[in-house]
Amino acid sequence: MKVSCSKENLTEGINMVQKAVSSKSTLPILEGILIEANQELKLTGNDLELGIECKVPADIQENGSIVINSKIFGDIVRRLPDAEVFIEVTGSNMVIIECENSHFEIKGIPSSGFPALPEIKKENAFVVNQEILRNMIKQTLFAVSMDENRPILTGSLMECKDKKLTFVSIDGFRMALRNYEVDNEAENLKVVIPGKTLNEILKILQPVKDEVSIYSTNNQILFDMNNCKVVSRLLEGEYLNYNGIIPQDYEIKIKVNTKELLAGIERASLVTVDEKRYPVKFNIANDKMVITSNTDIGAVREELKIDMDGGKMDIGFNPRYFIDALKVIEEEQINIFLTSNVGPCTIRPVDKDRFAYMVLPVRTRNE
Amino acid sequence: MQRVVFLVDMNAFFISCEASRSPALRDVPAAVAGDPKNRSGIILAANYEARKYKVKTTMVIHEAKKLCPNLVLVPPDHDFYSQKSKEVMNILSRYSPLIQQNSIDEAWMDLTGSKALLGEPLEIARSIMDTILNELGLWCSVGISDNKSLAKMASEFKKPLGITELYQKDVKEKLWPLPVRDMYGIGRQTEARLLNLGISKIGDIAGCDSKLLVKIFGKYGAEMYRLANGIDNSPVEPNTFGDSKSVGRSTTLRDDITDIDYAKKVLLQLAEEVGADARRYGSKGRTVSIEIKYSDFKTITRQKSIPATFLTREIYNTGAGLLDKYWDTTRPVRLLGISLSNFEDKDLRQMSIFDTLENEQNVDRTKKEEQLEKTIDKLRQKFGDEKIKRAKTIK
Repeated sequence: MKVSCSKENLTEGINMVQKAVSSKSTLPILEGILIEANQELKLTGNDLELGIECKVPADIQENGSIVINSKIFGDIVRRLPDAEVFIEVTGSNMVIIECENSHFEIKGIPSSGFPALPEIKKENAFVVNQEILRNMIKQTLFAVSMDENRPILTGSLMECKDKKLTFVSIDGFRMALRNYEVDNEAENLKVVIPGKTLNEILKILQPVKDEVSIYSTNNQILFDMNNCKVVSRLLEGEYLNYNGIIPQDYEIKIKVNTKELLAGIERASLVTVDEKRYPVKFNIANDKMVITSNTDIGAVREELKIDMDGGKMDIGFNPRYFIDALKVIEEEQINIFLTSNVGPCTIRPVDKDRFAYMVLPVRTRNE
Repeated sequence: MQRVVFLVDMNAFFISCEASRSPALRDVPAAVAGDPKNRSGIILAANYEARKYKVKTTMVIHEAKKLCPNLVLVPPDHDFYSQKSKEVMNILSRYSPLIQQNSIDEAWMDLTGSKALLGEPLEIARSIMDTILNELGLWCSVGISDNKSLAKMASEFKKPLGITELYQKDVKEKLWPLPVRDMYGIGRQTEARLLNLGISKIGDIAGCDSKLLVKIFGKYGAEMYRLANGIDNSPVEPNTFGDSKSVGRSTTLRDDITDIDYAKKVLLQLAEEVGADARRYGSKGRTVSIEIKYSDFKTITRQKSIPATFLTREIYNTGAGLLDKYWDTTRPVRLLGISLSNFEDKDLRQMSIFDTLENEQNVDRTKKEEQLEKTIDKLRQKFGDEKIKRAKTIK
């Protein structure tokens, strides 16, 4: 193998595929990046859960392939001067990396032992633009569960039905749901994608209008972007019936400015200590919402003007859950529907049905 | 105000408990000792008659018999000793609410500012000692000081039935001439290291450069320096369940085992005690951990998170699940333990989607089971642990 490419393009490619390389594995080859030159230059990382393949613009002088330790390769290339990089593999699996006055010789591993990315037939593509996909993931991923006792909830549900794409995450204490109308002929799609995969895809997707094609099988999903492919295992099992969880009735409906509410809760949470799970309390009455927090550190009181419909209520929440949701809402105004001080509370847009964020309250003893 | 801290130390506690119910043991050399056939066949506590023959705690039985052929041996009855220990603590609580139990047979008490109410420290100590002797027939020694570590050291000065005052102002005279081993917290290892440095008396530690001690012993060096100078600001902290981060039980098995079914039986018994403790305080925990010590003393702990519970069945099932997963049949096991931690805040409860989702029948069943286990706890409290047992634990 003998190739040359720009340091910038190579670094970008390495950064991408490194997301799928195990930092610690019993198999040294899994800690490596596969470099393949076959008319074009391709880098691949695969930790057997997640695989990422990336094309790097390059001049190919001689085809070939090799696996090189990801950390060493990345560290070297990142520190090279901004110039053209030459990579050559000798007969004894030595990888020579050259750039201006630098010359490295690094031991490689023959590529024959590298696990190939799973084959996924490119049929029934689901096509969506990168920016939309990126936003939908970002706006729901934070509510994915970390609790291994319910593995299915450690991923997000991606569902496409009746030309509507939906992302849902539920961690047991809250739910994040996003909808988007899509113009797509694809068959019904319903998969649960691991949170880790989505986290990495989020970093790869760009806020651009370019399209992503998504293909899936029973247990694998492939995201095909311009120069980059991501293949991931899917979570197996039946996802929660999220529609059944969202309450249809409410006791109180309020309308509030998103930014003002977010700022108020953020200030109120300054005196809460995360690990002790102190709640912030909402006192809702007479077109007023009073946010208070009272902890070992001190106390806060915030007052907010709201439009409301219904009686009054005192209710406590983990501020984190509200902040996470409010941060990803772009709409200026939101509606909040409260059921009871021990029942779910749902944040919805004022018009349309683009999202639903549901948060369960914290019950305090005197209630 | 000058602090007044007591350490009440029960003398030869286990054997004294035995003597309190079999007075015949009082005047003959006697000791509580494990069954000679199993590994706990050592002297656990010898009475003062036996100590005259130089019989000591942790001595193996045949050694003790050699020293004192007439030694009467009594097998241990730990339930009885815990019961007696509780009675002692009850007596202490008449004098002060600030009691920190340090072990089954000793506790610190804070009596600061009690002079007007109870009299001089010496009088109070005399009263405590007499009350314990009269009501329970047990002996104790009391150390009196202005801090915990000096009180602890003072209690060691005169045994049995001794009362010793050792205040910070007296350390130069009373403490410094003593060998380092007499200082609270210094064991054989530390003693050897100190002797190597030419430090043999507590006074030598006090006169040392504290920086040097820190350099050699780390944080503990600074602590040692303070204690040797009679300085200890740690408060007497009453033991309350609410503050404890976990509740656990472990046991050294009679023989090393490789039989997982037997191990599970042991685990069930331990889980029963853990559950009973948690239920008594109404605290539900979210993490169950097990501890396995192999015959080569290598120890592993494994844990799993579950929905908050104090049910024996759930604690046991989680523990048994961990055992199934991590049990290594090729290695004999010496000790097993199980604990519950990560307690739910009783005042605050984050509601979960599954609260409403899980069908009501399920919630109902949990409630019923909680009732059932609490009732069993009550029966056991009244009639003894043996009166009601799980079928699984009956042979």
